[in-house]
Amino acid sequence: MKAMLKKRLVPVVAIAATAGLILSGCSGAGGGETKEIKIGVLATDKGNLAFGMDEAKAAIGVSMASIGGTIDGGEIDGVPVTIVYEGTDGTSASAQTAVKKLVENDGVDIVFGPVSGDEGETVVQYALTTPEVTYVNGSASPVGMTLAGATNFFRFHGDSAMWMGGLGDYAYNEKGYKKIYAIAEDYSFPYDNAGGFFSEFCAAGGDVTGNSWVPVGTTDYSSIIAQIPADTDAVYVGLGGADAASFLSQAVTAGVNKPLVGGTIAVDTTALSGDANIADVAAGMIAGGPVPGPDYDSPEWQAFVAEYVKQPKAFPSPSIFSILYYNSFNSLLLALEEVKGQLGSPDQKNLREALTALEWTSPTGPIKLDANRQAIVDNFLIEVEKGADGKLTTKQISQTSGVAQGTKTYDRFEGCPK
Amino acid sequence: MSTSISSTSTTPRWKAWVSAQNIVVAVVLVLAIIFPLVVDRPRFWLPNIGVRTLWMGTIAMSLVFLNKYVGLLSLAQMTFAGICSYGIGYFSVTMGWPIIPSIVLSLGIGSFAGWLTALIAVRTKAIYFMMITLALAQVFYSWASQAIEVTNARRGIAPIPRPDFGFINLNDITTFYYFALVLAVIAYVIFRYTATSQFGLAIQGIKDSPERMSALGYNVNRYRTAALTLAAFVASIGGVILVFDRNQVDPSFVSLDSTLNILVVAVVGGIGSLGGVFIGGLVFALLQNFAQDFTDRYMTLTGLVFIGVLLFFPAGLVGLGPMIRRLFSKRAKASASSESSETLDAERRAGTHNKKGQHK
Repeated sequence: MKAMLKKRLVPVVAIAATAGLILSGCSGAGGGETKEIKIGVLATDKGNLAFGMDEAKAAIGVSMASIGGTIDGGEIDGVPVTIVYEGTDGTSASAQTAVKKLVENDGVDIVFGPVSGDEGETVVQYALTTPEVTYVNGSASPVGMTLAGATNFFRFHGDSAMWMGGLGDYAYNEKGYKKIYAIAEDYSFPYDNAGGFFSEFCAAGGDVTGNSWVPVGTTDYSSIIAQIPADTDAVYVGLGGADAASFLSQAVTAGVNKPLVGGTIAVDTTALSGDANIADVAAGMIAGGPVPGPDYDSPEWQAFVAEYVKQPKAFPSPSIFSILYYNSFNSLLLALEEVKGQLGSPDQKNLREALTALEWTSPTGPIKLDANRQAIVDNFLIEVEKGADGKLTTKQISQTSGVAQGTKTYDRFEGCPK
Repeated sequence: MSTSISSTSTTPRWKAWVSAQNIVVAVVLVLAIIFPLVVDRPRFWLPNIGVRTLWMGTIAMSLVFLNKYVGLLSLAQMTFAGICSYGIGYFSVTMGWPIIPSIVLSLGIGSFAGWLTALIAVRTKAIYFMMITLALAQVFYSWASQAIEVTNARRGIAPIPRPDFGFINLNDITTFYYFALVLAVIAYVIFRYTATSQFGLAIQGIKDSPERMSALGYNVNRYRTAALTLAAFVASIGGVILVFDRNQVDPSFVSLDSTLNILVVAVVGGIGSLGGVFIGGLVFALLQNFAQDFTDRYMTLTGLVFIGVLLFFPAGLVGLGPMIRRLFSKRAKASASSESSETLDAERRAGTHNKKGQHK
């Protein structure tokens, strides 16, 4: 018995010792408070938005260069600024883990991010429980985020309903579409995006001939295309990335002869460069969003693009994510400069007042905040056209100024949004 | 420790309770209890590491129970937990019911889902069982992603606040951690007790030879169904901790990723050890939080750790104990070989005698 116990005792002690080591060793990893400003950045670095982190760093790099800093930090009026990065995979679970780590373990003063809408809704809920930290949104765009009552949460770009601002009117009045069939992915971003478009379109007098909500990742649209009623004037395409590319190429095969209206992420280079044959259906497609067309040339925009392309791992031209991250981070930086790096107390009072009062001209137009700490911004309408070389490109058709947030969040809807 | 053991040898009543396994359990439990007191940032360590370890461990434990005692590898355990989480969200937030009936009913629904799954899957074995449970898990995932009336589709149900029962307020993170710890311990005790009960012996018999047990008059499928339902109940307990940890429920709870995470936790901890899953859970939670401090390719690092564990500790991290023991006994052997081989033989004989004596 004794010998057996002795034999068994060895692993017991070993495991106990290991567990002890893990506990004591890891608890040392938590940092203490410092006098510098610590900004924690949330961005996606894996999953289908894996490029989000590179785009975030490029945007932050451009902004920090204006004060002589780098993506890792700099100095504002003698107060050192440190920037730490935490990667996520675009899901609410990973955002929750990452934001808790930034706030509770890394002890950041300001959280900047996240990228996706699912993450954003989680981060706002967390912001409600940590009033001492200031949150500046990255590119998450669900409408409800700034309606949740988190007074420490600021968003310096439009929500996904605002990104459609002006497009409903344009489709009804300029293009003359009276009846539209809606195809959109089945999650929160397309709900808000389509909701923004159709609420304006229906208010103008338009009608919806049907809605198809498809799961993300749907590649076969033949049955949905077959459902489009004959008396439909146009088809709304609330799809993104590979889904949009699949839809467009199948629309060609199935002979869809209706004009298209795109959601904000339907018209990007992935969808347009996917298949040369899609030109027949894609040309003439209109869409709305925070990204101006290639012919846009405000001095602020040109200065931003010139700095952006110098950043490591930057795309040939800035994506929607780098634009939103830049506008948001630069807003934060301007406010930090305004208060000379003194965040104030209690609850970073100085910084928050400066953020609330901030007005500046961003690369995509003037930005200021409303009473819910949600930006009032300019929005862009673009149209896809066939270039001289047969390649698809976009042109800007209008810039809507001073688009403000509505008071409604959207869920999946049938017909016009209620 | 050695003194306590020598004293136990003179106290027969304790004998039954003193085994290496129970000592490990006691040590781990003590560490778990003092955990909130020794960490420097409880608001980070308790939710991100502590509570996460507990719900991952509890759910993975239900997987290990089925694998160890019933011989079935179920990939639906995370789904049962998720169903319970959805139940709590739906009843308490969407329907506005009081929290305690919501939790009780949701535990029932999670278990019921296990029973339904068992009705379909229990006639199959090995890879077919695994595939059916995986398929059912994916069916629920797709449903949860779409059924906007019940699950609020992709957006999920949020916020689900932690309840204040009056006598305990789970909004306090330390209280919540101990609440989760108590649930995890209850889950562990349920499995330990079941394994040694008549029912447990019967299902182990069925695992070894279903034909013989059937010939002895046992209704094999009914026993398996009962075991699966019990495992679903324990997974649902994990779901209770999970939903109050996350304060929301969305389809990512029951996605393929989450399902596989639970499998990884079980394998890293030790697929043959009920308590080992908590070590697996701890390692996994630490990796999720700290791997990116070391490298940008932290998913790769997590994968490498997983491969490393599979390569070097096929029995999981709890297999580390026996490995170290073998290492020590080898060393002992090496030092003994310098002495005369006769002494060694005598020692070995003595060891055998001891063992024989023990059996008597």
